[in-house]
Amino acid sequence: MAGIFIFSEDPQLAQQLLTPGLALKASLGQPLVALTASSADAQTLASLGADRVVMLKAARTTPEALAPAIADLLAKEQASVVLVGGTLRGRHLAAHVAAALKAGMTTDAKVLAIRDGKLEAQRILYAGLAVCEEVVALPAVATIPQRTFLAPAAAAQAGTVETLEVQADARVVVESTTPVESEGVDITAAIKLVSVGRGFGKKEDLFLARDLAGALKAEISCTRGVAEDEHWLPIERYIGISGQTVKPELYLAVGLSGQVQHMVGCRESKVIVAVNKDEQAPIFEAADYGIVGDLYQVLPLLTAALKS
Amino acid sequence: MPKLLVCYKWVLNEQDIKIRPEDLSLDTSRAKGKISDFDRNAIEEASLIVEQQGGTVDALSYGTPAVKQSVKDALSRGPNRLLWIGDPQAEDADALVIANVLAAAIRKAGPYDLILCGEGSSDMFYQQTPARLAALLGLPCVTFVAKMTLEGDVLKATRKLGDCTEQVSVTGPAVVSVLSEINKPRIPSLKQVLGAAKKPSEEIAIGSLGLAADELQPRAVRKSAKGFLMNRKNIIFKESDAAANVAKLVASLAAEGLA
Repeated sequence: MAGIFIFSEDPQLAQQLLTPGLALKASLGQPLVALTASSADAQTLASLGADRVVMLKAARTTPEALAPAIADLLAKEQASVVLVGGTLRGRHLAAHVAAALKAGMTTDAKVLAIRDGKLEAQRILYAGLAVCEEVVALPAVATIPQRTFLAPAAAAQAGTVETLEVQADARVVVESTTPVESEGVDITAAIKLVSVGRGFGKKEDLFLARDLAGALKAEISCTRGVAEDEHWLPIERYIGISGQTVKPELYLAVGLSGQVQHMVGCRESKVIVAVNKDEQAPIFEAADYGIVGDLYQVLPLLTAALKS
Repeated sequence: MPKLLVCYKWVLNEQDIKIRPEDLSLDTSRAKGKISDFDRNAIEEASLIVEQQGGTVDALSYGTPAVKQSVKDALSRGPNRLLWIGDPQAEDADALVIANVLAAAIRKAGPYDLILCGEGSSDMFYQQTPARLAALLGLPCVTFVAKMTLEGDVLKATRKLGDCTEQVSVTGPAVVSVLSEINKPRIPSLKQVLGAAKKPSEEIAIGSLGLAADELQPRAVRKSAKGFLMNRKNIIFKESDAAANVAKLVASLAAEGLA
């Protein structure tokens, strides 16, 4: 049977997975099969190049609850490559599937190819300090982060859709689910960002960054410490390995030291500017332009200069 | 009384790793070892549970023979006993091998009421071990936990999943992975450090786990790790006159078409 299988509970991510899936189909000459628990997604995935879509019906359809059933299905179908959308739930599912298939797995792969009958992937190590090539024997599992690939164009011929009743894993009982309150700001779409760190003494002082952002027509982002420890800004604005990844035209970092865990989220920005009072801070090595100085003095001057 | 197990990884401190500019290879010669950051949260959480409600915590680590260096640090953070497996081949282990070894050691030393892990290791950050362990051991798995309580054999946990939080409960043995926000790992006191020397630690020989050669064979092989090169202009204005620095920066931004 064999085949390349994709799964993501996130509709956009599921579509994006078809792009590397189609490339693997071309290299391996095996059908591309999409698994989904949503009937709306099933039709879309069939129209975008999946040869087959298996629509899973179960009492519970979170990826974690579907993991054992998906693992059984993939073992039966003798899957050669399994691509899973790299959400947190997706990573849980993928690791379960990899263990059940006795398969190697690469987490958050950026580039995928088949070479010498193995899956070659690129991913980061040491929180972004290094990049490595990883070679995974087949069957192989990979998680792929959001927006790594664009969704493919509509296929000439739509794939088939079939329904499969499966048993959900009900051992973990979900008592309630609460959506995270969102301001609805997508900082990954911002063209310019003013990013703040704990060089600011208190939350009230962030107006200095807001004024600067206003003058630049920029959005505000921040470090993990500012969002998670200080709670000065919402989680969705923090940049870093466990937060957002951004590629703006301008990334203006104020009062943040530039630790590798933060920089991995912004280092593909076109221009990076740093304002920091510590000349030894690593942010200056990662910056195109920088000012060594007290942000409380520099920011008002910079805002005024940009306005005039 | 709950019997807990916490797994941790002894990793190189990434702050000590230098990139050789000539070929971007990694110079780890000066890198010291540390208990992986998120695993410290797992150790802390397990220790808090037994300090509050009784029971015991075993700590378990698989790594190269260097893992022996972690014994004192790990035990001073709360666990009652340490089990470690030092194997030169662990250098090349992938998540499949790591989970196979840990699962075999758990079958030997267990059973446990709860197995805790960090959400991922600070070197590879595969984030696979907890769900792989649960699958191998046939246990339910609760990942990305920001808050948890253990009442009898019922675990109640709050998971943080990016776009939502989920309140879950599970009865009986389970594998849990914790987020860094769940607690603040202790800085061991002198008394805790001295006490650690009196706690039992035991090496488990990899050969005693009954694993087949196939189970110790990595499927994911790392090649050619290269440092990420920051190729930036590094034009830094650092005169004492802040206004002059600002004027130069604004001119530079204007030249880039950004102001």
